[in-house]
Amino acid sequence: MRFVGLRLARGLLTLWFAVTVTFFLVRLLPGDPVLAVADPNMTEELRQKLLADFGLDQPLGVQYLDYLGQLLQGNLGMSFRQSIPVTTVLMERLPWTLILTGSAMVVTIVLGIPLGVLAATRAKGWLDRVIQLTGVTAQSLFVPSVGIFLMYVLGVWLGWFPIGGAVDLDATGPAATLSMLHHLVLPCLSLVFIQLGGYVLTMRTTLIEALGEDYVSLAKAKGVPPGAVVWKHALRNALLPTTTIAGLQLGTLVGGAVLTETIYAYPGIGRAIYEAVGQLDFPVLQGAFVLLAAAVVVANLITDVAYGILDPRVRTS
Amino acid sequence: MRRATLFAALLAAALTACSPSVPGQSGSQASGSQAPASADRLTIGTTADVVNFNPLVGNSRTDSWVTNLMYPHLTQMDSAGKRVPYLATEWSYSEDGKTATVKLRDDMKWSDGKPVSADDVVFSVTAVQKEKFGVVAGLITALDKAEAVSPTEVRFNLTRPDGTFLDNVGFWLPVVPKHVFEKAPSVQKFANDANWVSAGPFKLTKVERGQRYIMERVDDFGPGAPTVKEIVFRVFPDVNTEVLALRNGEIDLIGNVLPPATATELKSDPNVKLEQIPSLGWAHLQYNTKRKPLDDVRVRQALAHAVDYEAIRNIALKGFAKSSNSSVLTPSLPDYADPASKEYVFDPELSKKLLAEAGQSNLSLSMIYDQADPNIARWAPMVRDSAKKAGITIKLQGLERNTYLDKTLKRDFDIYAGSWAVMDNPPANLGLAFKTDGFINYAQVSDPKLDDLIDQAQRALTQEEAKAPIQEAARIIRDQVYDNVLYVETFNIAHSTKWTGFRPMPSELLSILNPLSLASAKPAG
Repeated sequence: MRFVGLRLARGLLTLWFAVTVTFFLVRLLPGDPVLAVADPNMTEELRQKLLADFGLDQPLGVQYLDYLGQLLQGNLGMSFRQSIPVTTVLMERLPWTLILTGSAMVVTIVLGIPLGVLAATRAKGWLDRVIQLTGVTAQSLFVPSVGIFLMYVLGVWLGWFPIGGAVDLDATGPAATLSMLHHLVLPCLSLVFIQLGGYVLTMRTTLIEALGEDYVSLAKAKGVPPGAVVWKHALRNALLPTTTIAGLQLGTLVGGAVLTETIYAYPGIGRAIYEAVGQLDFPVLQGAFVLLAAAVVVANLITDVAYGILDPRVRTS
Repeated sequence: MRRATLFAALLAAALTACSPSVPGQSGSQASGSQAPASADRLTIGTTADVVNFNPLVGNSRTDSWVTNLMYPHLTQMDSAGKRVPYLATEWSYSEDGKTATVKLRDDMKWSDGKPVSADDVVFSVTAVQKEKFGVVAGLITALDKAEAVSPTEVRFNLTRPDGTFLDNVGFWLPVVPKHVFEKAPSVQKFANDANWVSAGPFKLTKVERGQRYIMERVDDFGPGAPTVKEIVFRVFPDVNTEVLALRNGEIDLIGNVLPPATATELKSDPNVKLEQIPSLGWAHLQYNTKRKPLDDVRVRQALAHAVDYEAIRNIALKGFAKSSNSSVLTPSLPDYADPASKEYVFDPELSKKLLAEAGQSNLSLSMIYDQADPNIARWAPMVRDSAKKAGITIKLQGLERNTYLDKTLKRDFDIYAGSWAVMDNPPANLGLAFKTDGFINYAQVSDPKLDDLIDQAQRALTQEEAKAPIQEAARIIRDQVYDNVLYVETFNIAHSTKWTGFRPMPSELLSILNPLSLASAKPAG
């Protein structure tokens, strides 16, 4: 219990740090947010009025404290550009990002672990080499290039998948769910593509290491079938570093989502960030970053707890 | 072997988790299927979401395209830039030019059944005048008071004769329903993001932010019921994806202007038709006349002779550009253009001579531009290279858009490279751009003779009267190189050959997406 409490406190501290950095970072962006709202040919009088409306006429310290105070009450402020609450802007987008990143993560793990095991148990064989080579190559590819390539081949050329979007306009009921999944395939695949290598290669390395341990030799000597040696004995120990990666990769996944959502016209939060940067919409930017930081903190918290379950030594240290 | 089968099964399971076998209705949209379009739905691709639904505030392209279909303007424009009726049927000035009168159609209705009346026009223009926001505020400085003479007649009392007033108000002012907007404490802060009351050919029925905007036909639209039942704007932030979607038949039209390279590619696609739309603006270089040695006209002329205009138009723009003969009166507005104007010749030797006369050697300047503008990013290096032949060093500063805008407004540059989008009325626009203290007078021009000529043109109540002084002003701008006009772009708008009947109007703002064009669009064949 104390273990979870400590991790929670650390998570909150991280969150506060992220909020603070974000707050000052967006204010370092070049340009004038008022300009993004009104026409350049506005009067100085209107400019001052808009600055006051946005609270940007206050000293930075006052703005910061004000923001923290509002945040504690769960108020993310009003969008400069859209004149609607930031919470509304983000909540419309959040489910899509969760679906995309969530499915990408699940597919990556479901594919990554068995592929890693396959490579490790056939270390140095041709299959191992193919898996390694593919893993390294996929990792170094740029998401937008993968995206356009997949869309061209699977969308335009073969006509199997739609080009961009999240769901068909006319689909209702179960058809809408099907259409949603249909639209999800390509963006999900792009994210899986660049993520998979990391999992497979880590899984492979740690499993090879585990397979060389004494307890594995002992199990083999006892006459445990080879499959059970790998899946029951070695894998549980080899899973630890992979769990860490899952937590860490979430950040990368979210970064990849900004690009993926843009290429695939997917209506998630990544795209809202992309648009808000161009419009210097501070409240939307801050809100989105807080939300993402919270997601990463929570994911890491879960990883830590999972780690504790998988490896009792962590709980006591 | 058994294990390999297991892995294969796992892999297949994981993939199917991601991909169902029957793709709902969109399966019928496989590539190459070019069944005739039905009049049920026209899908338009755009690269951005609607940011603000308040037409008096929203200023992005998508904002304008969508709200233009909802809120009428007094006038539209024909292909030569002349104003044509929309909500207004006729308009005129009094003898002394201090009163402008507009008569309105009587058959336009708001979607809640109330008639569109003179009160709405008065409310819209007065809100902008009072709260001073948006494009319109800077264009109606001559307005004293607007009043409704009758439900179908509006009178504008002006503080001075201003022959640009009706053109400006007619073209730029969206008319909003008074009975809805007046309830907001501040019209400028009114988000107008639900329960829209509109009066255009289409009404907005559903918004799925990040995805699409769905608009339905208005059957009793005064100027004539639209053919197409439903217009859908779909958002594709990436132009490449947008083009793939058009080729795949998922969208019928791309709203945004195509980059020249993409247009060249699409030209050979038999399922795509390119509409060519003249720009109302121009691409240009401006020299900061308040900085030495750019305050010397000989230095500016030397720079003007050190640009290879033909190469920029043919290579960077792939020929999708016209020469404006170095004049700010472009061929897009033939009624104003001056046939006597001649383009600066690319002549590095002449540049060198002019620089020597001005006592300049080893001239080195920096040039700012928006690095995200695909056209300028292509021609900026060409400007640098041709200047080098005249012994001038130009350092390129490709900037992120907000930084670029900031530097422009602070007039913090030697050379500014950019383009103006919509310059629809020369006397009004040249006033903003070249009169002392004009809002967009980036080059910081201050020339009393030019100011006088522009004032004279603005006071003129007819175009014939305005023509002589405005042409004289344009000559001064050319000779003094207050602006170096490079070209007028020919915009390419792509749509599926399944559609026809569009009514193209100049500029990216109106294009084939203007309300009268979408109201007359119909399936081909």
